[in-house]
Amino acid sequence: MSEAVTAHRVDEFVAAISQPDAPAVFRDGLAAYAVDGLLPEVAVTVTHTDHVRLNLSEAQKHGLAVIPFGGGTHSGLGNVPTAYDIALSTVGLDRIIAHEPADMTVTVEAGVPLATLQAVLAHHGQFLPLDPPGGGGATVGGVLAANAQGALRHAFGTARDWLIGVKVVQADGTLVKSGGRVVKNVAGYDMGKLYVGSLGSLGVIVEATFKLAPLPAAVAAIGVTCPSPHAAAMLLFAAHDAGLALHAAELLSPAAGRAVLGDARWSALVRVAGRARAVERTLRELREIAGGLRATYDLRDPAQTARAWDDAFAPGALSLRVSVLPRSVAGAIEEMEAALGGAAALLSSTLGAGLIRARVRPESDAEAGMLVGAVRDIAQRHDGALVVEAAAPAVKRAIDVFGPARPDFAIMRRLKQALDPSRTLAPGRFAGGL
Amino acid sequence: MQSLERALGRERVISTPDELIAYEFDATIERGMPQAVVFPESTEQVAAAVRVAHRAGVPVIPRGAGTGLSGGAVAAAGGVVVALTRMKRVLKIDVVDRVAVVEPGVVNIDLSRAAAPYGLYYAPDPSSQRACTIGGNVAENAGGPHCLAMGTTTNHVLGLELVLADGEVIEVGGHSRDVAGYDLTGAFVGSEGTLAIATKIIVRLSRIPEATRTLLAIFDQIDDASGAVSAIIAAGMVPSALEMMDRNIIRAVEPVLRCGYPLDAEAVLLIEVDGLEEDTVEQAEAIDAICRRHGAREVRLAREAADRELLWAGRKSSISALGRLYPNYYVLDGVVPRTRLPDVLRQVYAVAGRYGLAVANVFHAGDGNLHPNLLFDEREPGVTAKVLDAGAEIMRLCVDAGGSITGEHGVGVEKRDFMAWLFSGDDLYAMSRLKTAFKAGEDFNPCKAFPTHAGCGEVTQAQVRRTAAAIGPDLYV
Repeated sequence: MSEAVTAHRVDEFVAAISQPDAPAVFRDGLAAYAVDGLLPEVAVTVTHTDHVRLNLSEAQKHGLAVIPFGGGTHSGLGNVPTAYDIALSTVGLDRIIAHEPADMTVTVEAGVPLATLQAVLAHHGQFLPLDPPGGGGATVGGVLAANAQGALRHAFGTARDWLIGVKVVQADGTLVKSGGRVVKNVAGYDMGKLYVGSLGSLGVIVEATFKLAPLPAAVAAIGVTCPSPHAAAMLLFAAHDAGLALHAAELLSPAAGRAVLGDARWSALVRVAGRARAVERTLRELREIAGGLRATYDLRDPAQTARAWDDAFAPGALSLRVSVLPRSVAGAIEEMEAALGGAAALLSSTLGAGLIRARVRPESDAEAGMLVGAVRDIAQRHDGALVVEAAAPAVKRAIDVFGPARPDFAIMRRLKQALDPSRTLAPGRFAGGL
Repeated sequence: MQSLERALGRERVISTPDELIAYEFDATIERGMPQAVVFPESTEQVAAAVRVAHRAGVPVIPRGAGTGLSGGAVAAAGGVVVALTRMKRVLKIDVVDRVAVVEPGVVNIDLSRAAAPYGLYYAPDPSSQRACTIGGNVAENAGGPHCLAMGTTTNHVLGLELVLADGEVIEVGGHSRDVAGYDLTGAFVGSEGTLAIATKIIVRLSRIPEATRTLLAIFDQIDDASGAVSAIIAAGMVPSALEMMDRNIIRAVEPVLRCGYPLDAEAVLLIEVDGLEEDTVEQAEAIDAICRRHGAREVRLAREAADRELLWAGRKSSISALGRLYPNYYVLDGVVPRTRLPDVLRQVYAVAGRYGLAVANVFHAGDGNLHPNLLFDEREPGVTAKVLDAGAEIMRLCVDAGGSITGEHGVGVEKRDFMAWLFSGDDLYAMSRLKTAFKAGEDFNPCKAFPTHAGCGEVTQAQVRRTAAAIGPDLYV
């Protein structure tokens, strides 16, 4: 499509959505909405679900591509979009619709910042156990769309395990929901699972209901420096097998150890949480296990280590996520350290989930491309997979950031075709270029 | 028929009326006679059977143990029932990674038994766990008493091998949650056998907790028991199970099982906490105090494993024990926000009273999942229609309280016409697009989970009413 034609369509779109009580349209300050170096023609900010509906139905009618935008903290995820005309900012959808503490559920609009939500919940002794690194400014909708997650994954799983209901605006402007507001519900297909991690490619999330967890009475953190990644993995497996009260259990590379614990050795970072007596016992047993492994046990300030880990693993210039079986983590992380060591790489693994994160500072796009290839080979050798969570556009263009298509890709392609036939929503960004 | 026998071998196909009669119904009131039932023993045989049916344009109905409580395995529009009970191998238990790979016909409790020597178990525990299959659990997203803390089936399934409606075999998900692309595994769990047939299931195993404490709290007022439930949750505790039984359940169970539920109590709560020894001691003490504060006249702690099992035996056989009180019972499955429990329970009794029916409540109070059982004698003229009407009203109460028409039994044939209370036409259409993605046409387990469409006339509610009058006493659940 020529630029003049696109500009004309954008003008028509802007005219169409410029109604009383309409979404606000911007043509400047677009750099804030850059995706992989691409700028939209316009940015639209909405304060009401009806605005989202109008925006999408008009965009579809005018053949324009829309990328929903939350806090932008994880906008590096995804393939380079094949078209990007409209940035649809959902941060104005910022109402907490219902929080009934005794039901342990909360319903929020998509633009509510995760941090704001956590503060409200904490007031009632509850939290949503999702803690994506660098997610301070993330919105609830963005966390869902990116399936963003942090160290709490160890004990609490991912967004899919906490989302119980969702409302989404589809590409044609139709508002649809699935699930509900109760913690147990099997009426209808569980469409919410599909939107988690879908990068807005199936619909724009406008409202979500979560079940919640109680905040622990006591929290402690320890760092255990170990002679090898294998020793650190043994410690974490032993703690896991003993059923100890762990909220997070990360295996850190030496560079990550330095950044987070101030000690440049392989280490385990454990967050212990629960009732006071369970926490005491867990700390005692971890010390015993560490002694057996000739590791150094070191009590830490939980808030400070959590912040340091968060800083270290916020999405960077090149962020990688490898998934292998837990048993393969020590071997895979050791090989990744060797392959990435020269590029100031920080590595951290949620061992129980078999997930290894790497934040890398490559000197050039060429080096980044090479490192991605090397890590993909390591992942494949361990029967695992690599997702490139952030990289320079030139690096991304050479690959599918989600890795090679899987056998079930045909179902995914048909799903995208069924729900967004006009390819209005984030075209090209999702796995396999959907 | 001959194509099925050619594809699978004669010994894996039945088609005479005498043989088929056992496959005409599941654990509900619904019925539907299939033309044939096949018993494949491998993925290839499932695919072959599905291909034959697909080519002939005949409905396919996947079936596990037939313990379903919403009619999901009933051949509502005839067709070929694919019974997966012969595919019952536990293919792999990976102790380090805490993962098991099973065939769909594995009985729920058999998986936990196979994992027990390694200190592991499979967490979802529907009350029918001694009979129901993992494949059926996946189809219905089955729950159970312990899903309050551990989550339902969907939280424990990692990947699947599926046979699609045209016989294509495809894998979704894998040994970990982190598989690129849309979460098709998550979308499949709870799809009530309408998208595909799972022929292999990869599940997460959990560690058997170090300590378990079980309490029985006895109440003279049912509202007090509901209040205690809310207070426990509000105090920041998530017990592993939090079950309520009302006086009618107690009166049915206690004389038979003698599990120590007082006959003069209005309600009992069965509460379990597990985890580290220290944690369970503290939680049990806190729960004891909360219950007493909310009017419990007595709180008992089961000291020995045998005591605990006895308390649970009462809970697990409570529905079947209802046969002592009335010849028939009809179990409902609704969900309300936990804070609405006292209010909705009162309304449930009121509705039953208005229809002149007795009702017994045994349910997962911790997550607001009600199971009112309407008690009746089907020999009484017109009573079946009353039961179905009262059931519908109670479902409506749950919806009006902000809840759902099913927490764990599924929509099936039974409640598809209530779906419009929860979802708009647009919502349902969006869901139907998932069928398109899975290539599951209208012949794939038809008449289930979504509002009636043409061709399902035989099993409308009106028909249910007519057939219900003809069904023997034990077929109601």
